[in-house]
Amino acid sequence: MSAESPRQQATDAPETTRPETARALAAGARPRRFGAWYIAEHRFRVMRSYLQTMLATGIGSPIIYLYGLGAGLASLIDAPVASQPGAEGVPYLVFVAPALLASAAITVATEEFSYPIMLGYKWNPTFTGMHASPIRPGQIVDGIVISVTVRILATSAVYYLFMLLFGAVPSPLGYLAVLAATLGGLAFGHLLMAYVSTLEQDTGQIALVMRFLVLPMTLFSGTFFPLSQLPWFLQPIGWVSPLWHATELSRVFAYGYPEPLWLTVVHVVVLVAMAAVGWIASRRIAARRLGR
Amino acid sequence: MTAPATTTDDRTAPSGGRGVASLYAGNSRAVMARGWRATRSSNWMIVVSGFFEPIFYLLSMGIGLGALVGEVATADGDVSYAAYIAPALLAVAAMNGAIYDSTWNVFFKMNFAKLYEGMLATSLGPLDVALGEISLALLRGAFYASGFLVVMQALGLNLSWWALLALPAVLLIAFGFASLGMAITSYMKTFQQMDWINFVLLPMFLLSATFFPITVYPQAVQWIIQAMPLWHGVELVRGLTTGAVHWGLLWHVLYYAVMIVVGVVFTTKRLRALFLD
Repeated sequence: MSAESPRQQATDAPETTRPETARALAAGARPRRFGAWYIAEHRFRVMRSYLQTMLATGIGSPIIYLYGLGAGLASLIDAPVASQPGAEGVPYLVFVAPALLASAAITVATEEFSYPIMLGYKWNPTFTGMHASPIRPGQIVDGIVISVTVRILATSAVYYLFMLLFGAVPSPLGYLAVLAATLGGLAFGHLLMAYVSTLEQDTGQIALVMRFLVLPMTLFSGTFFPLSQLPWFLQPIGWVSPLWHATELSRVFAYGYPEPLWLTVVHVVVLVAMAAVGWIASRRIAARRLGR
Repeated sequence: MTAPATTTDDRTAPSGGRGVASLYAGNSRAVMARGWRATRSSNWMIVVSGFFEPIFYLLSMGIGLGALVGEVATADGDVSYAAYIAPALLAVAAMNGAIYDSTWNVFFKMNFAKLYEGMLATSLGPLDVALGEISLALLRGAFYASGFLVVMQALGLNLSWWALLALPAVLLIAFGFASLGMAITSYMKTFQQMDWINFVLLPMFLLSATFFPITVYPQAVQWIIQAMPLWHGVELVRGLTTGAVHWGLLWHVLYYAVMIVVGVVFTTKRLRALFLD
């Protein structure tokens, strides 16, 4: 092998299909086809290493938030809370619970689509290793999306169970809020993944995203109080915030919050669009970054 | 800081089994100065940005929730909701500043940059490293606290001149959290395990009389909250900024004094176990 010059290798290869070449090609066929699922499996195995953390936060946060806000803040806010002026109000716990659910989904998405992506490209470049196999860059992205979707769905489902336990879901359609929250998580998460994929140097961009995007989004998206409580010039934050769309959508399902049908459709369309754009961009960036 | 000055012999002596001298070379400033320079050249933006976090909370909760809540009854009469949560956010800011520096930054330096292995290969001992990193975290806490106090003053949320004492109080809080946070970080192996920190901070943040009085809870829950450090910080700072000052506040000071001592000893032991034994 090492005695041969590169030129000889190049001329030899196309003419004869050696048995080992055939075997290598055959072995590559399955990963080529099911690559995304291989990556998802890899991610699940990684998740097992922090299963305890996931369980503790997945079960602990709904209890703390629902109990803390439901028993605590709700005692300060006696009057029913309405999402829109003029609409009928609901108890504070019922009002805030769908927002907490959507916010939890976005928290998981933020966690999985930020540092782990940076890790895979740069610090501990597993993506490069995956790409050295027959798996395509787009499949790496798909595999991550599959695994994180499962985790967000599971987290949201647990959250929803606790909402039921706390009596925070009057509507029989409430379970659909789990899907709304998951969609919200993916909408934000995919965009975040696309952004993180472009980072070559870590100068704390992710920390800045957390502080200037995730936190204000949580605080000013009509989560803890209706968006209409904010001055008018701050209210557009809601329109671009995936959390606001996911929260409003969850509220429609969880307690039948009255809003026009077109607005409900807009929530879905915006979230799907954000998720799609982020996904496509992430795949493209992955192909460009790993392919060079 | 208070440890005896070491002689030249002690510094060059191999570490291990020689009491404080083997742990402390009296040069924690070097560790602190290194961190300060590294911050200045790389992530000063993040440090500065942390200043905005409590302000976001104050605006969101003070304006938005304040409209729903109105006034809150305290032991010394009613105060506006913003004046009620502002001191709590100040205490939380001190906690967060200290925790970020002493957990995430330390975690990275420990596991990725392998910084401490290099440091401990010099004459520096684990106590130097611990005190240096903690001082850096304190500096950050002081910066956040001063800025936030100015904002509180501008919004008219400091109800008494005692508020000036909130600054040292906040440093005390930051010291407590930084010293303990660093010890706990030494047990962390993966990024996701770092979530445990949030897992402990979240209920403290939410329930420690930050956004509503703890009297809404059953007695047993109140005891748990009162055992947690943040509640003591919130009570201390709130007493000072609202002017409800009494001798009982000294218990909170004592709580943090004990926490600091335990934290520093614990951190030093852990660093020693990790890198020297």
